[in-house]
Amino acid sequence: MIRAFTLEWLKLKHYRIFWVLFGIYLLAQLVITNGGMFFLEWLRDLGADFDGIDPTIIPIYDFPDIWQNTSYLGSFGKILIAFIVIISVNNDISYNTMRQNIIDGVSKKEFILSKFSLVLFLAFVCTALLFISGLVTGFIYSSVTDIKYILDGLEFVFAYFYQLVVFSMLAFLVGLVIKKAGFAIVLLFFYSSFLEPIATAILQHADPIKDQTEWLAKFFPVYSINNLIHVPFLRYFFQEIQDTILWHEWLIATAWLGIFTYLIVFILNKKDLKA
Amino acid sequence: MSSVLKIRKLTKHFGKITAVSQLDLTVESGQVYGILGPNGSGKTTTLGMILEVVAPSSGDFEWFDGMDNVKARQQIGSILETPCFYSYLTAVQNLRIVAHIKNCGTGNIDNILRKVNLYERRNDKFKTYSLGMKQRLSIAAALLSNPPVLILDEPTNGLDPEGIAEVRDLIKQIAADGKTIIMASHLLDEVQKVCTHFCILRKGEKLHEGSVNDILGETNVVEISAKDLDGLISHIESYVGMEKVTNENGSLFVQLKDGHSSEDLNQFCFDKGISLRKLLQQSRSLEQEFLKILKEND
Repeated sequence: MIRAFTLEWLKLKHYRIFWVLFGIYLLAQLVITNGGMFFLEWLRDLGADFDGIDPTIIPIYDFPDIWQNTSYLGSFGKILIAFIVIISVNNDISYNTMRQNIIDGVSKKEFILSKFSLVLFLAFVCTALLFISGLVTGFIYSSVTDIKYILDGLEFVFAYFYQLVVFSMLAFLVGLVIKKAGFAIVLLFFYSSFLEPIATAILQHADPIKDQTEWLAKFFPVYSINNLIHVPFLRYFFQEIQDTILWHEWLIATAWLGIFTYLIVFILNKKDLKA
Repeated sequence: MSSVLKIRKLTKHFGKITAVSQLDLTVESGQVYGILGPNGSGKTTTLGMILEVVAPSSGDFEWFDGMDNVKARQQIGSILETPCFYSYLTAVQNLRIVAHIKNCGTGNIDNILRKVNLYERRNDKFKTYSLGMKQRLSIAAALLSNPPVLILDEPTNGLDPEGIAEVRDLIKQIAADGKTIIMASHLLDEVQKVCTHFCILRKGEKLHEGSVNDILGETNVVEISAKDLDGLISHIESYVGMEKVTNENGSLFVQLKDGHSSEDLNQFCFDKGISLRKLLQQSRSLEQEFLKILKEND
């Protein structure tokens, strides 16, 4: 695994596009997940109020709620991480270096591992930043700082990591099947941001069919990834919230991870790599 | 001699087309082995299969008497058609990746870049290189780990005459170090010049296999001429070692019987008072043999 990661690292460490995209992602994640108080202050200054309540007293950064709030917001940017994975896979296809790597002495398994290690690396760095910045923000704003509350919602932080991994493996698969990076990126973005959300929304909310079809939505790949972390902010209005991730939600996302990985292995093993 | 590569009944179908059919080959250590054949005869497909980028339909192969294929490939330097590198990386950065894959350390990089004349440009990105420079970087990558086996696919394709001469010299130099070279080529002349052994493929089938010297060697035909050609003919016809004689362009081509050499013929003419002004033992060319073999198999 270390050999596989080093291979990927040598390819990326002098690649400017990689650092630009990764930097933008980390910065965006930091702002989106930790700039909430500034956002609420801005709302207040605009004169918004929620039934006469000053928005800035909404405890979005209280432990343990902070973990679900930040991981939910952070996950909106995961498409950028997917871009990095697609670009990395497509470089090796378009430069024909995947073939060259194998000829030089890399097994197909090791090649897949090298991309998987990139996925794990990206997800780990993003998650570590989410965790550390969450701790800092939490200690600034939270009314409770007992260790018990801090540790309470950490499964959402892990779910954030898991979302990034599963979604990135989907990106790996798309990058492998669609050989043009630009097209692969557009397709993944269009599918994950519009096509599937619209399809699942119809299944769940279209009056004539929703009673029969609502249950189907949770089996869709992107929906199941996103569904690990539900929209958390409803708790401030209706008190109707997700306090834990259900086992079947983990299971469906894991099944998709298995399917993506299987297809990647299958395609690479079957394919003749022509010059 | 230990075997470097053993191929057994290797076959590849692309849909209805059979690119390689039941191919058996053995390459021994130290050979310079040429895989010869017209375009589309299955040379590149064969190399692709033994390097595991093309999946065989059936049959198998074995490197170094059964070494793990991935480990074996790390011992092999390969130059296949177009050079494949990361365009956004420099020569040094690209070679570091190769060194990592080959498990060979980066100590040799500067050295090898000097050898292929890229040292001055080592910190420029690959995308700024000319085709010749890209090809030289391929050679550098293949030689980086000082591999005992080299695989070349049409090594002089697309090179200018100077580049062709350079690559041929390099091949001979490497072969002189005792390394094994497997090369595919459709250039007969190239194989004749550098190879010790060869096989001929056509439509994926092996028509012939053998050593270059065996097939080339000298023939038992001697070309002679003298001032008085008619006198020479009448004498030669009485020579006991003569099998057949033909007259072409002012020279006689004498086919000798077994046990008679060009030396005997010379002595015979001398005894008859004729001094030859030309005495040349005919050698075969791979081209003649190649055409003959193709004809025999039609």
